[in-house]
Amino acid sequence: MFHLLTFVQWLNDTPISVYLRESDWPFPIIETVHILGLGFSVGTIMWLDLRLLKLAVREVPVADVIEQLEPWAIGGFAVMFISGSLLILSEPLKCYNTVAFRIKVVLLILAALNVLYFHKRVMHNVDQWDQEMPWRAKMVGALSLVLWLGVVIAGRWTAYF
Amino acid sequence: MTFGGILPDWFFKLCENTWPGLWFKQSQWMFAIDETFHIMALGMLIGTLVIVDLRLLGFGMRRQSVAQVASYFAPWTLVGVALMIITGVPLFMSEAVRLSKSSPFLFKMIFLFCAVTLHFTLHRKAIASSQGQGSGLGRLAATLSLMCWLGVALAGRAIAFL
Repeated sequence: MFHLLTFVQWLNDTPISVYLRESDWPFPIIETVHILGLGFSVGTIMWLDLRLLKLAVREVPVADVIEQLEPWAIGGFAVMFISGSLLILSEPLKCYNTVAFRIKVVLLILAALNVLYFHKRVMHNVDQWDQEMPWRAKMVGALSLVLWLGVVIAGRWTAYF
Repeated sequence: MTFGGILPDWFFKLCENTWPGLWFKQSQWMFAIDETFHIMALGMLIGTLVIVDLRLLGFGMRRQSVAQVASYFAPWTLVGVALMIITGVPLFMSEAVRLSKSSPFLFKMIFLFCAVTLHFTLHRKAIASSQGQGSGLGRLAATLSLMCWLGVALAGRAIAFL
């Protein structure tokens, strides 16, 4: 049977993990890249969400906002995902043992499922949303805002424990 | 180069011993909670700036004019800046003495001053004179703006490490 803890312990002892943990510069540099990625991804995702909730950028058609901003949200997310993976690699055991980090992972998975649901089940008639926003789209927007807020909070708190 | 070389020591001690600096210093949770809000405001602020600056550079919301994009997000940029300052001041006050000896903190404030000044001068002018499409002035303003804010974020992050 596969034991996650065994894997985490093995990862923790790999030379690359030890290197990232024990040298001065990699961690601050990667963390800075992670935060800049946050600006791009969460900073654009929240406007998509607020548009779905009709709270901002109401003058622009929904499809326009999604098509034009989503590539930047995805780009920012890629930067966060890669830099985040390196941050985990630098201290796997600490992450494994931190409650805030576990919550963050769960919230990230839920956020991903939310996006998947949006693209597969909700977005097909986006052209008609400017007459009436379906409740499913609003729900996805609200959920996304709450989940990403949670990801940011849990991420920040991972560093405190 | 630090703030300690510019302002007297008693100023920083006063900050740490005055509300809300003292409260944040003594409380176990206030610093962490406030810093979380500071980061959330950062996400919101950087998001609006990036969207407007990308548009000035000819990326992102190209189906809308520069002036339109700027008008949608400009009010939120100000909300973001206000939230950053409101959440940032107690963070500064609670460890003013340490920050008075921190070079990255001084650089962060210099970048912040440049970024805000730029926002109300060149940036605004570039948006007003854009006539819907990108211009050399717009690209210059956007590049300078992104660099200043990058400086704010990098120096801000460096405070914790240097």
